[in-house]
Amino acid sequence: MAVVADARWTFSAIGTAWQIQTATPLPPGVRRSVTELIDAFDRDWSRFRADSLVTALAAGGAAVTSPPDTAAMLDAYVELSAVTAGAVNPLVGDALARRGYDADYGFVDHGPGPSPQDWTTQLDWSGGRLAMSTPAMIDVGALGKGRLVDRVLAEIAPWVDGRIVVDASGDLAVRGGPERVGLEHPYDPRRAIGVWEVTDAALCASATNRRAWGDGLHHVLDARTGQPVRTIAATWALAADAMTADAVATALFFDGGPELAHRWDVQWVRMTTDGRVEWSPNCKAELFS
Amino acid sequence: MIRTTAVPRQLRVGAAAASVLGIAVLAGCAGTTTSTDDAGSGTSSTDQAVDTTDTGSSSGSATYTDGTYSADGSYATPESVETISVTVTLADDIITAVEVTGNPTKSESEQYQSQFIGGIQDAVVGQDIDEISVSRVAGSSLTSGGFNEAIDAIKAEAAA
Repeated sequence: MAVVADARWTFSAIGTAWQIQTATPLPPGVRRSVTELIDAFDRDWSRFRADSLVTALAAGGAAVTSPPDTAAMLDAYVELSAVTAGAVNPLVGDALARRGYDADYGFVDHGPGPSPQDWTTQLDWSGGRLAMSTPAMIDVGALGKGRLVDRVLAEIAPWVDGRIVVDASGDLAVRGGPERVGLEHPYDPRRAIGVWEVTDAALCASATNRRAWGDGLHHVLDARTGQPVRTIAATWALAADAMTADAVATALFFDGGPELAHRWDVQWVRMTTDGRVEWSPNCKAELFS
Repeated sequence: MIRTTAVPRQLRVGAAAASVLGIAVLAGCAGTTTSTDDAGSGTSSTDQAVDTTDTGSSSGSATYTDGTYSADGSYATPESVETISVTVTLADDIITAVEVTGNPTKSESEQYQSQFIGGIQDAVVGQDIDEISVSRVAGSSLTSGGFNEAIDAIKAEAAA
Protein backbone atom coordinates (compact mmCIF):
# COMPACT_ATOMS: atom_id res chain seq x y z
CA MET A 1 0.00 0.00 0.00
CA ALA A 2 1.43 3.29 -1.06
CA VAL A 3 1.54 5.84 1.71
CA VAL A 4 1.36 9.44 0.63
CA ALA A 5 2.43 11.86 3.32
CA ASP A 6 -0.27 14.25 4.44
CA ALA A 7 0.24 17.96 4.08
CA ARG A 8 1.03 19.69 7.38
CA TRP A 9 0.53 23.36 8.03
CA THR A 10 1.85 24.65 11.31
CA PHE A 11 1.47 28.14 12.70
CA SER A 12 1.05 30.02 15.93
CA ALA A 13 -2.24 31.72 16.80
CA ILE A 14 -4.33 32.70 19.84
CA GLY A 15 -1.32 32.11 22.06
CA THR A 16 -0.65 28.52 21.11
CA ALA A 17 0.71 26.19 18.43
CA TRP A 18 -1.55 24.90 15.65
CA GLN A 19 -1.11 22.10 13.18
CA ILE A 20 -3.52 21.35 10.38
CA GLN A 21 -2.90 18.02 8.70
CA THR A 22 -4.74 17.25 5.49
CA ALA A 23 -4.69 14.35 2.99
CA THR A 24 -4.32 16.89 0.20
CA PRO A 25 -2.64 20.30 0.43
CA LEU A 26 -4.93 23.21 1.19
CA PRO A 27 -5.28 25.74 -1.63
CA PRO A 28 -3.66 29.08 -0.71
CA GLY A 29 -7.06 30.78 -0.71
CA VAL A 30 -8.35 28.37 1.93
CA ARG A 31 -5.31 28.98 4.11
CA ARG A 32 -6.00 32.67 3.81
CA SER A 33 -9.62 32.28 4.83
CA VAL A 34 -8.59 30.10 7.82
CA THR A 35 -6.11 32.77 8.90
CA GLU A 36 -8.78 35.44 8.59
CA LEU A 37 -11.31 33.35 10.49
CA ILE A 38 -8.91 32.82 13.40
CA ASP A 39 -7.97 36.49 13.46
CA ALA A 40 -11.62 37.56 13.48
CA PHE A 41 -12.35 35.20 16.38
CA ASP A 42 -9.34 36.60 18.23
CA ARG A 43 -10.45 40.19 17.62
CA ASP A 44 -13.86 39.37 19.06
CA TRP A 45 -12.91 37.25 22.07
CA SER A 46 -9.28 37.76 23.07
CA ARG A 47 -8.87 39.48 26.42
CA PHE A 48 -5.16 39.80 25.56
CA ARG A 49 -5.81 42.25 22.71
CA ALA A 50 -6.30 45.96 23.28
CA ASP A 51 -8.40 46.16 20.11
CA SER A 52 -10.74 43.26 20.85
CA LEU A 53 -14.45 43.45 21.38
CA VAL A 54 -14.31 41.92 24.87
CA THR A 55 -11.66 44.47 25.88
CA ALA A 56 -13.96 47.26 24.69
CA LEU A 57 -16.90 45.81 26.63
CA ALA A 58 -14.78 45.47 29.77
CA ALA A 59 -13.85 49.14 29.44
CA GLY A 60 -17.52 50.05 29.54
CA GLY A 61 -18.19 49.97 25.84
CA ALA A 62 -21.72 50.11 24.50
CA ALA A 63 -23.68 47.10 23.33
CA VAL A 64 -22.40 45.59 20.12
CA THR A 65 -23.76 43.34 17.42
CA SER A 66 -23.12 39.80 18.64
CA PRO A 67 -20.13 38.11 17.05
CA PRO A 68 -21.01 34.90 15.17
CA ASP A 69 -20.11 32.55 18.05
CA THR A 70 -21.88 34.40 20.83
CA ALA A 71 -25.04 32.36 21.25
CA ALA A 72 -23.35 28.99 20.69
CA MET A 73 -20.75 29.68 23.35
CA LEU A 74 -22.75 31.60 25.94
CA ASP A 75 -25.71 29.20 25.76
CA ALA A 76 -23.27 26.36 26.50
CA TYR A 77 -21.82 28.43 29.36
CA VAL A 78 -25.27 28.63 30.95
CA GLU A 79 -25.34 24.86 31.28
CA LEU A 80 -21.68 24.65 32.17
CA SER A 81 -22.07 27.21 34.92
CA ALA A 82 -25.23 25.62 36.33
CA VAL A 83 -23.85 22.09 36.48
CA THR A 84 -20.66 23.24 38.22
CA ALA A 85 -22.64 25.42 40.66
CA GLY A 86 -20.96 28.57 39.35
CA ALA A 87 -17.37 27.32 39.25
CA VAL A 88 -17.26 27.91 35.48
CA ASN A 89 -18.20 31.46 34.53
CA PRO A 90 -17.50 33.52 31.37
CA LEU A 91 -16.82 36.63 33.47
CA VAL A 92 -13.76 35.05 35.10
CA GLY A 93 -11.45 37.29 33.04
CA ASP A 94 -10.96 39.90 35.76
CA ALA A 95 -10.24 37.22 38.39
CA LEU A 96 -7.62 35.64 36.10
CA ALA A 97 -6.03 39.05 35.54
CA ARG A 98 -5.98 39.72 39.30
CA ARG A 99 -4.11 36.45 39.85
CA GLY A 100 -1.52 37.69 37.35
CA TYR A 101 -2.72 36.20 34.06
CA ASP A 102 -3.39 39.60 32.52
CA ALA A 103 -3.11 41.04 29.03
CA ASP A 104 0.49 42.12 29.72
CA TYR A 105 1.41 38.73 31.22
CA GLY A 106 2.35 40.53 34.42
CA PHE A 107 2.15 37.34 36.51
CA VAL A 108 1.87 39.34 39.71
CA ASP A 109 -0.74 37.90 42.06
CA HIS A 110 -3.16 40.42 43.54
CA GLY A 111 -5.16 37.78 45.36
CA PRO A 112 -8.28 35.73 44.83
CA GLY A 113 -11.71 37.12 44.23
CA PRO A 114 -15.05 35.71 43.10
CA SER A 115 -16.44 36.42 39.66
CA PRO A 116 -19.99 37.82 39.33
CA GLN A 117 -22.25 34.87 40.12
CA ASP A 118 -25.20 36.62 38.46
CA TRP A 119 -23.41 36.71 35.13
CA THR A 120 -26.49 35.54 33.20
CA THR A 121 -28.25 38.77 34.15
CA GLN A 122 -25.15 40.96 33.90
CA LEU A 123 -24.54 39.74 30.36
CA ASP A 124 -27.24 40.01 27.73
CA TRP A 125 -26.85 38.27 24.38
CA SER A 126 -30.47 38.20 23.28
CA GLY A 127 -31.70 39.68 20.03
CA GLY A 128 -28.38 39.57 18.24
CA ARG A 129 -26.81 42.11 20.62
CA LEU A 130 -24.10 41.60 23.22
CA ALA A 131 -24.34 43.96 26.16
CA MET A 132 -23.18 44.15 29.75
CA SER A 133 -24.95 45.96 32.59
CA THR A 134 -21.73 46.25 34.62
CA PRO A 135 -18.43 46.20 32.73
CA ALA A 136 -16.47 42.99 33.23
CA MET A 137 -13.92 41.01 31.27
CA ILE A 138 -15.30 38.08 29.33
CA ASP A 139 -13.04 35.02 29.13
CA VAL A 140 -14.34 32.18 26.98
CA GLY A 141 -11.38 29.95 27.85
CA ALA A 142 -13.61 27.10 29.03
CA LEU A 143 -14.71 26.31 25.48
CA GLY A 144 -13.56 29.03 23.07
CA LYS A 145 -10.64 27.18 21.54
CA GLY A 146 -12.83 24.15 20.92
CA ARG A 147 -15.33 26.39 19.16
CA LEU A 148 -12.57 27.82 16.97
CA VAL A 149 -11.33 24.32 16.07
CA ASP A 150 -14.86 23.45 14.93
CA ARG A 151 -15.04 26.62 12.82
CA VAL A 152 -11.65 25.93 11.21
CA LEU A 153 -12.58 22.32 10.45
CA ALA A 154 -15.85 23.44 8.84
CA GLU A 155 -13.93 25.98 6.75
CA ILE A 156 -11.48 23.47 5.28
CA ALA A 157 -13.64 20.32 5.12
CA PRO A 158 -15.16 21.10 1.68
CA TRP A 159 -11.65 21.43 0.20
CA VAL A 160 -10.14 18.16 1.36
CA ASP A 161 -10.89 14.69 0.10
CA GLY A 162 -9.68 12.41 2.86
CA ARG A 163 -8.43 12.78 6.34
CA ILE A 164 -8.20 16.07 8.23
CA VAL A 165 -6.72 16.75 11.67
CA VAL A 166 -7.09 20.23 13.15
CA ASP A 167 -4.84 20.29 16.22
CA ALA A 168 -4.81 23.51 18.22
CA SER A 169 -2.52 22.02 20.87
CA GLY A 170 -4.67 20.27 23.40
CA ASP A 171 -7.86 20.56 21.40
CA LEU A 172 -8.14 18.60 18.19
CA ALA A 173 -10.74 17.42 15.72
CA VAL A 174 -10.39 14.54 13.25
CA ARG A 175 -12.36 13.82 10.07
CA GLY A 176 -12.11 10.98 7.59
CA GLY A 177 -9.92 8.51 9.42
CA PRO A 178 -8.52 7.41 12.74
CA GLU A 179 -5.82 9.25 14.66
CA ARG A 180 -4.05 7.69 17.64
CA VAL A 181 -3.51 10.32 20.30
CA GLY A 182 -1.38 9.91 23.40
CA LEU A 183 -2.73 11.32 26.66
CA GLU A 184 0.14 13.36 28.04
CA HIS A 185 1.02 12.80 31.68
CA PRO A 186 0.50 16.18 33.37
CA TYR A 187 3.64 15.75 35.50
CA ASP A 188 5.91 14.24 32.85
CA PRO A 189 5.44 15.32 29.22
CA ARG A 190 7.62 12.39 28.07
CA ARG A 191 5.03 9.93 29.26
CA ALA A 192 1.44 9.14 28.31
CA ILE A 193 -1.18 7.72 30.64
CA GLY A 194 -3.06 6.19 27.74
CA VAL A 195 -3.96 6.29 24.08
CA TRP A 196 -7.21 7.38 22.51
CA GLU A 197 -8.10 6.54 18.93
CA VAL A 198 -10.11 9.42 17.54
CA THR A 199 -12.24 8.98 14.43
CA ASP A 200 -14.65 11.63 13.17
CA ALA A 201 -14.71 13.25 16.59
CA ALA A 202 -12.93 15.81 18.73
CA LEU A 203 -10.61 15.21 21.67
CA CYS A 204 -9.95 18.11 23.99
CA ALA A 205 -7.46 18.11 26.84
CA SER A 206 -6.86 20.51 29.66
CA ALA A 207 -4.18 20.47 32.30
CA THR A 208 -2.76 22.84 34.86
CA ASN A 209 0.94 22.28 34.13
CA ARG A 210 1.76 24.77 31.36
CA ARG A 211 -0.32 27.93 31.86
CA ALA A 212 1.09 28.17 35.35
CA TRP A 213 3.03 30.85 37.19
CA GLY A 214 3.82 32.04 40.67
CA ASP A 215 3.05 30.08 43.77
CA GLY A 216 0.81 27.24 42.62
CA LEU A 217 -1.14 29.50 40.31
CA HIS A 218 -2.49 28.28 36.98
CA HIS A 219 -5.22 29.14 34.51
CA VAL A 220 -8.06 26.98 35.84
CA LEU A 221 -9.70 29.10 38.53
CA ASP A 222 -12.83 28.34 40.50
CA ALA A 223 -14.92 31.39 39.61
CA ARG A 224 -16.67 31.28 42.99
CA THR A 225 -13.47 31.87 44.91
CA GLY A 226 -10.77 32.90 42.42
CA GLN A 227 -8.62 30.03 43.66
CA PRO A 228 -6.87 27.63 41.28
CA VAL A 229 -8.25 24.08 41.34
CA ARG A 230 -6.22 21.63 43.41
CA THR A 231 -7.79 18.20 43.06
CA ILE A 232 -7.70 17.59 39.32
CA ALA A 233 -4.46 17.85 37.33
CA ALA A 234 -5.59 16.96 33.81
CA THR A 235 -8.74 16.13 31.87
CA TRP A 236 -9.58 14.70 28.45
CA ALA A 237 -12.98 14.61 26.78
CA LEU A 238 -14.12 13.05 23.51
CA ALA A 239 -17.23 14.39 21.79
CA ALA A 240 -18.69 14.80 18.32
CA ASP A 241 -17.53 18.42 18.20
CA ALA A 242 -14.62 20.26 19.81
CA MET A 243 -16.61 22.94 21.63
CA THR A 244 -18.55 20.27 23.52
CA ALA A 245 -15.37 18.34 24.29
CA ASP A 246 -13.57 21.51 25.40
CA ALA A 247 -16.45 22.52 27.67
CA VAL A 248 -16.58 19.10 29.33
CA ALA A 249 -12.79 19.02 29.70
CA THR A 250 -13.12 22.25 31.70
CA ALA A 251 -16.14 21.08 33.72
CA LEU A 252 -14.26 17.93 34.74
CA PHE A 253 -12.05 20.03 37.03
CA PHE A 254 -15.12 20.54 39.22
CA ASP A 255 -18.00 18.68 40.80
CA GLY A 256 -20.72 18.37 38.21
CA GLY A 257 -18.35 17.67 35.30
CA PRO A 258 -19.10 13.94 35.14
CA GLU A 259 -22.82 14.70 35.23
CA LEU A 260 -22.53 17.14 32.32
CA ALA A 261 -20.53 14.57 30.35
CA HIS A 262 -23.29 12.03 30.95
CA ARG A 263 -25.93 14.52 29.81
CA TRP A 264 -24.02 15.47 26.66
CA ASP A 265 -22.92 11.90 25.87
CA VAL A 266 -19.22 12.68 26.19
CA GLN A 267 -16.50 10.16 27.08
CA TRP A 268 -13.77 11.34 29.40
CA VAL A 269 -10.66 10.57 31.44
CA ARG A 270 -9.23 12.69 34.23
CA MET A 271 -6.23 12.52 36.52
CA THR A 272 -6.20 13.76 40.08
CA THR A 273 -3.24 15.55 41.62
CA ASP A 274 -2.49 12.46 43.73
CA GLY A 275 -2.04 10.36 40.61
CA ARG A 276 -5.37 8.56 40.37
CA VAL A 277 -7.11 8.23 37.04
CA GLU A 278 -10.88 8.20 36.64
CA TRP A 279 -12.89 7.57 33.51
CA SER A 280 -16.46 7.68 32.26
CA PRO A 281 -18.66 4.56 32.14
CA ASN A 282 -18.57 4.49 28.32
CA CYS A 283 -14.88 5.35 27.92
CA LYS A 284 -13.09 3.68 24.98
CA ALA A 285 -9.64 5.09 25.73
CA GLU A 286 -6.83 2.63 26.32
CA LEU A 287 -5.34 3.46 29.70
CA PHE A 288 -1.99 2.26 31.02
CA SER A 289 -1.72 0.98 34.54
CA MET B 1 -28.92 16.98 50.71
CA ILE B 2 -28.62 16.04 54.35
CA ARG B 3 -31.15 17.09 56.86
CA THR B 4 -30.36 16.76 60.51
CA THR B 5 -32.82 17.65 63.18
CA ALA B 6 -31.28 17.97 66.56
CA VAL B 7 -33.15 16.52 69.48
CA PRO B 8 -35.11 19.36 71.07
CA ARG B 9 -33.74 19.94 74.51
CA GLN B 10 -34.44 22.43 77.23
CA LEU B 11 -31.53 24.79 76.89
CA ARG B 12 -31.03 28.28 78.09
CA VAL B 13 -30.51 30.83 75.36
CA GLY B 14 -27.25 32.72 75.46
CA ALA B 15 -23.99 30.91 75.66
CA ALA B 16 -25.98 27.73 75.28
CA ALA B 17 -27.46 28.92 72.00
CA ALA B 18 -24.02 29.78 70.75
CA SER B 19 -22.70 26.38 71.62
CA VAL B 20 -25.64 24.62 70.01
CA LEU B 21 -25.11 26.65 66.88
CA GLY B 22 -21.47 25.73 67.02
CA ILE B 23 -22.27 22.06 67.32
CA ALA B 24 -24.84 22.29 64.57
CA VAL B 25 -22.39 23.98 62.23
CA LEU B 26 -19.75 21.41 62.99
CA ALA B 27 -22.23 18.62 62.36
CA GLY B 28 -22.99 20.16 58.98
CA CYS B 29 -19.31 20.36 58.12
CA ALA B 30 -18.70 16.81 59.22
CA GLY B 31 -21.50 15.62 57.04
CA THR B 32 -20.05 17.33 54.04
CA THR B 33 -16.43 16.52 54.50
CA THR B 34 -16.33 12.85 55.35
CA SER B 35 -15.85 11.94 51.71
CA THR B 36 -12.81 14.08 51.12
CA ASP B 37 -9.30 14.16 52.47
CA ASP B 38 -8.46 17.78 51.97
CA ALA B 39 -11.63 19.65 52.80
CA GLY B 40 -10.13 20.42 56.18
CA SER B 41 -7.81 22.87 54.48
CA GLY B 42 -10.74 24.96 53.32
CA THR B 43 -11.61 28.19 54.97
CA SER B 44 -14.75 28.53 56.99
CA SER B 45 -17.07 31.40 57.62
CA THR B 46 -20.49 31.60 59.14
CA ASP B 47 -22.88 34.51 59.09
CA GLN B 48 -25.00 34.13 62.15
CA ALA B 49 -28.28 35.92 61.99
CA VAL B 50 -29.16 34.70 65.45
CA ASP B 51 -27.91 36.95 68.21
CA THR B 52 -25.92 34.68 70.45
CA THR B 53 -24.64 37.23 72.92
CA ASP B 54 -24.28 35.76 76.37
CA THR B 55 -26.88 37.44 78.55
CA GLY B 56 -25.76 35.77 81.73
CA SER B 57 -27.96 33.61 83.88
CA SER B 58 -31.23 35.35 83.20
CA SER B 59 -34.06 33.36 84.67
CA GLY B 60 -37.00 35.73 84.57
CA SER B 61 -38.60 37.44 81.60
CA ALA B 62 -37.86 36.44 78.03
CA THR B 63 -34.82 38.18 76.54
CA TYR B 64 -35.42 37.01 72.99
CA THR B 65 -38.48 37.22 70.83
CA ASP B 66 -40.05 33.87 70.22
CA GLY B 67 -39.78 32.61 66.70
CA THR B 68 -37.68 30.80 64.17
CA TYR B 69 -34.28 32.14 63.18
CA SER B 70 -32.17 31.06 60.25
CA ALA B 71 -28.55 31.59 59.40
CA ASP B 72 -26.61 30.57 56.34
CA GLY B 73 -22.97 29.65 56.42
CA SER B 74 -20.53 28.71 53.75
CA TYR B 75 -17.02 27.45 53.51
CA ALA B 76 -14.81 26.91 50.53
CA THR B 77 -13.09 23.67 49.72
CA PRO B 78 -10.60 23.69 46.86
CA GLU B 79 -13.23 22.61 44.31
CA SER B 80 -16.49 23.81 45.74
CA VAL B 81 -18.24 26.17 48.03
CA GLU B 82 -20.24 24.20 50.55
CA THR B 83 -23.26 25.85 52.07
CA ILE B 84 -25.38 24.95 55.05
CA SER B 85 -28.19 26.69 56.79
CA VAL B 86 -29.11 26.44 60.44
CA THR B 87 -32.61 27.10 61.74
CA VAL B 88 -33.23 27.60 65.43
CA THR B 89 -36.66 27.87 67.02
CA LEU B 90 -36.92 29.85 70.23
CA ALA B 91 -39.76 29.86 72.75
CA ASP B 92 -39.39 31.63 76.09
CA ASP B 93 -35.63 31.83 75.67
CA ILE B 94 -35.47 28.11 75.16
CA ILE B 95 -34.33 26.42 71.98
CA THR B 96 -37.02 23.97 71.02
CA ALA B 97 -35.62 22.90 67.66
CA VAL B 98 -32.41 23.07 65.65
CA GLU B 99 -32.32 22.08 62.02
CA VAL B 100 -29.27 21.91 59.83
CA THR B 101 -29.72 21.79 56.10
CA GLY B 102 -26.65 21.13 54.07
CA ASN B 103 -25.82 21.05 50.39
CA PRO B 104 -22.77 18.85 50.42
CA THR B 105 -21.61 18.63 46.83
CA LYS B 106 -18.79 16.33 47.86
CA SER B 107 -21.21 13.76 49.18
CA GLU B 108 -23.34 14.15 46.10
CA SER B 109 -20.37 13.43 43.91
CA GLU B 110 -19.92 10.19 45.81
CA GLN B 111 -23.50 9.27 45.07
CA TYR B 112 -22.98 10.11 41.40
CA GLN B 113 -19.93 7.90 41.22
CA SER B 114 -21.70 4.74 40.21
CA GLN B 115 -23.82 6.57 37.66
CA PHE B 116 -21.36 8.98 36.09
CA ILE B 117 -17.92 7.53 36.80
CA GLY B 118 -16.95 4.27 35.15
CA GLY B 119 -13.84 3.44 37.13
CA ILE B 120 -10.90 4.66 39.15
CA GLN B 121 -7.33 3.46 39.12
CA ASP B 122 -4.65 4.42 41.63
CA ALA B 123 -1.17 5.70 40.92
CA VAL B 124 -1.00 5.71 37.14
CA VAL B 125 2.60 6.11 36.00
CA GLY B 126 2.04 5.88 32.26
CA GLN B 127 4.36 4.82 29.48
CA ASP B 128 7.15 6.45 27.56
CA ILE B 129 5.64 8.32 24.62
CA ASP B 130 8.43 7.11 22.34
CA GLU B 131 7.44 3.50 23.05
CA ILE B 132 3.78 3.79 22.19
CA SER B 133 2.61 4.25 18.66
CA VAL B 134 0.87 7.58 18.55
CA SER B 135 0.86 10.31 15.94
CA ARG B 136 0.22 13.15 18.35
CA VAL B 137 -0.22 13.95 22.01
CA ALA B 138 -3.01 15.74 23.85
CA GLY B 139 -2.30 17.59 27.04
CA SER B 140 -2.34 21.17 28.19
CA SER B 141 -1.98 23.72 25.39
CA LEU B 142 1.53 24.68 24.47
CA THR B 143 2.17 28.29 25.35
CA SER B 144 3.65 30.69 22.86
CA GLY B 145 4.54 34.32 22.29
CA GLY B 146 3.95 36.73 25.14
CA PHE B 147 3.32 34.06 27.78
CA ASN B 148 6.69 32.39 27.24
CA GLU B 149 8.57 35.67 26.97
CA ALA B 150 7.07 36.90 30.24
CA ILE B 151 7.85 33.66 32.08
CA ASP B 152 11.40 33.71 30.69
CA ALA B 153 11.83 37.32 31.83
CA ILE B 154 10.64 36.46 35.34
CA LYS B 155 13.00 33.48 35.50
CA ALA B 156 15.91 35.63 34.31
CA GLU B 157 15.07 38.24 36.93
CA ALA B 158 14.89 35.59 39.63
CA ALA B 159 18.24 34.14 38.58
CA ALA B 160 20.01 37.51 38.46
